Amino acid sequence: MSMTPHAARPAGRELVFDETFLRKLEQLELLARKIFRGLLRGERTTSRRGRGLEFSDFRHYRPGDDFRHIDWNIYSRLDQLFLKLHAAEEDVTLNLIVDTSASMGFGEPSKFDHARRLAAALAYIALNNLDRVAVSAFADGLSARLPPAKSRQHMAQLLGFLADLRCTGVTRLGASLRDFVSRTRGPGLAILISDLLGAEEAQAGIEALCYGGHDVVLIQLLAESEIDPPLEGALQLVDAETGDELEVTVDQELRRLYQQRLEGQLRDVESFCRRRGVEYLRASTAIGFEDVVLKYLREGRHLR
Amino acid sequence: MIQLAYPLALVSLVAIPLVLALHLLRPRRRRVVLSTIAVWQAALRDREGGHGFRRLLRNLSLLLLLATALVLGLALTGPQWLTSTANDADIVLVLDVSASMKSRSGIGSTRFDQALAVAASIVDGLPRNGRALVMTSGRKALLRTGFETDRGALRRALAQLRPGDEAGRPREALALALSLVRGRSDSRIYFLTDGAFDPDVDPGSPQVVFRVVGEPARNVAITRFDLRQERASDDRFQVLLTVRNYTGTPVTVPAAASLNGRELFKRTLELAAQGEQTLVLPFAGRALGEAMARIELDDDLAADNLAYAALNSPASLRVLLLSRGNFYLESVLAALPNTEVVKREAADGEDIAQLARSHDVVVFDGVAAPELPPGNFLLVDTVAPGLPFADAGRVTQPRILGSGPSALMRNVDLAAVQIDEARRVAVDKRAPGLQHLFWSAQTDLALALIDESRKLVYLGFDLAGSNFPLQAAFPLFVSQSLEWLRPRADDRLAHHVAAGSAISLYVPAGEKQVIVRGPSGKDETLEAIDGTLVFDATASAGIYRYSAGNVTQSFAVSLADARESDVNRRWSQGEQRQRADTAGSGAQALLPLWPYLLVLALVLLTLEWFVWAGSRSGA
Repeated sequence: MSMTPHAARPAGRELVFDETFLRKLEQLELLARKIFRGLLRGERTTSRRGRGLEFSDFRHYRPGDDFRHIDWNIYSRLDQLFLKLHAAEEDVTLNLIVDTSASMGFGEPSKFDHARRLAAALAYIALNNLDRVAVSAFADGLSARLPPAKSRQHMAQLLGFLADLRCTGVTRLGASLRDFVSRTRGPGLAILISDLLGAEEAQAGIEALCYGGHDVVLIQLLAESEIDPPLEGALQLVDAETGDELEVTVDQELRRLYQQRLEGQLRDVESFCRRRGVEYLRASTAIGFEDVVLKYLREGRHLR
Repeated sequence: MIQLAYPLALVSLVAIPLVLALHLLRPRRRRVVLSTIAVWQAALRDREGGHGFRRLLRNLSLLLLLATALVLGLALTGPQWLTSTANDADIVLVLDVSASMKSRSGIGSTRFDQALAVAASIVDGLPRNGRALVMTSGRKALLRTGFETDRGALRRALAQLRPGDEAGRPREALALALSLVRGRSDSRIYFLTDGAFDPDVDPGSPQVVFRVVGEPARNVAITRFDLRQERASDDRFQVLLTVRNYTGTPVTVPAAASLNGRELFKRTLELAAQGEQTLVLPFAGRALGEAMARIELDDDLAADNLAYAALNSPASLRVLLLSRGNFYLESVLAALPNTEVVKREAADGEDIAQLARSHDVVVFDGVAAPELPPGNFLLVDTVAPGLPFADAGRVTQPRILGSGPSALMRNVDLAAVQIDEARRVAVDKRAPGLQHLFWSAQTDLALALIDESRKLVYLGFDLAGSNFPLQAAFPLFVSQSLEWLRPRADDRLAHHVAAGSAISLYVPAGEKQVIVRGPSGKDETLEAIDGTLVFDATASAGIYRYSAGNVTQSFAVSLADARESDVNRRWSQGEQRQRADTAGSGAQALLPLWPYLLVLALVLLTLEWFVWAGSRSGA
């Protein structure tokens, strides 16, 4: 098995999905769990009270409220003034944040290719739902950014952007996401695609996204060789990102300890996400990205 | 201060790069690049129970091996800790230069090299105003310097010292050294030796500090080598060779001897542990020339694997007979082998001293003898002035009553001798060197005298007026008298001495200047006194040749000393150490550090084993 980093540079043409897959994607609809302010009205209601048609909630009347929103039926039954609130209909900016650190180059296919295809698929779905889509890449910093756009013609530009990405460098997740939040004009749906391996300040970075008002989805991508490493005997392990070396004799017991330790780390991330209201999805490169999109994302709250 | 007894052993430090090379050449681990090693590191920590020193242990193993190699290398150099003297006491450095100091010890060095290193360190450790004297202990004790404060001069004197092929006599050297520091109890005598001598050498003085160098050695030696012409035959000679094994195991030694480069024999000797074997082998022919015996094996002392002997052709005895005619005497002298007789009626007007120098023996037979110069003389029926016996008349028909126990009278039977008339001599009985050979009631009939420069035999009657020449005793008496006057018996034996001993070289009469060429090929011109040269520069074994006039002779010098060849330590240091401990502050302490380094190396190796075992069970 080749464990050398894969120079994940699929051509833009490879990222163009086949027609069957695209049709399936069109049936999906992105949902955002939070209601957030959109720059343009779209096909989605948000939790922000506004002038949309969809009922949202009631609240007591306060002096100064618009009389036109008083629910007179309730007043007649309860003799109290309640305002009838409607959710404002706003469009959603989907921020795809792709990890391009050196560790993403591993796996067959590589995690990097997998991440880019996932990003492309999600962008396609979003654009079909008239949402804005922006793409950011990071490794040891925020390295590239495709500004948000909502036209379907934006898809070609987005595929080209993804195709031009290279995976290199270490993962400085915390700094990169803080930088991302500071550069983003408003909250949106942020989908972070990363292996989180060797990531510095991963939890701090995700918290920064949350504090920035983003609805955060974390897709943690792992290669099969990372979940069940086919290693045996006396080895000199080299860290692809830092170049650090570790001499080790791998036996069954050590592999078991490795898997225990990896599982523990994944559980920690998942637990953290649950506490922070972050949608967490774990994916393996052994599972085709189509299945990830069609099955895993369908199970989440962002698709219906 | 630390000094190294075997500096050449530093060569062993090449083991360090060897260890490094072996470490680098060990099978490499397969290199695998991973997205991250953080999880593996965590898993390793889990296995190690939370102790993250696995990496340290891996490097520690190499470091411990390097440290072990370094420590062992240093131990092989024989480091010693030398404490400096605290006062200005004088120091006498006595270096053992006997043959056993040539024994190999350590890597590429000898015991003498080690002794020199110790001596140099003592010189280096001298206090600012401290004085030291260098002397050597061989067969003789020799002062090499006076008491010096100049360390450079002391070092130069040390650098010129070489061990000889001689047997040592340390007792004399230590006695001399003690005499040099007599009355100064704070002074110290450092005897730098291998301890290959008998315990009674130790004078037991607290001032004497033994610094014993050298390691146990294995040695096989020629302890005797001799050639001898058989007395009964001039055509046969014998070779005597004794070889001794000083090791604790049996050895097989090829032994050979040659005479003038011609091989006499070659044998393989089987020697038991501590065993000895002697060969006595007869050979046809005359034993003349230079002989060498050798044993061929690689032991720790090479000096005693060779032995030398020299046999010179006996020089003719030159006899000047001053006589008006004596049939009997002339007949006997002519009958003696290898004797040249020059006959004259008198020596009137000639320098008798010159005649005495140019002849081995001068015979005055019935002629007046002047005052005798240095030389060898036979006086027959005449008396010379200036002797402890003087003419006092004559006696008729003296009857021989007895004879003395002199070598001249050996087997001389005088029972039937009758004498018509003899000289009466008044003898100074207190005169030193006078022997009474035989006598009558009235007077001594024959005397022998030896003084500082003269030897003479006196026969006090006319041979023609006696039946003595008709007796078998007469030629025997004449022969033994000449042999006593000018000894030649040794000419039939090999002419050799032990290394370091003095040898008397007889030079032809009339010659004074003697040129001696030693084994090194260097000539030394010396002066003989009264036909004899006492030569003592025999520290090196080999063949020596000496020339006087047109005569060249040779003699051999060998170690051939059974005690000296026993190169292993016979003297115990325990008693001396106890004395040194109580000797006070004046002594220097020279502490060997190798045992501590050896223990340290064992500890390091043990630690390395634990580290290795730990790394096998871990990463």
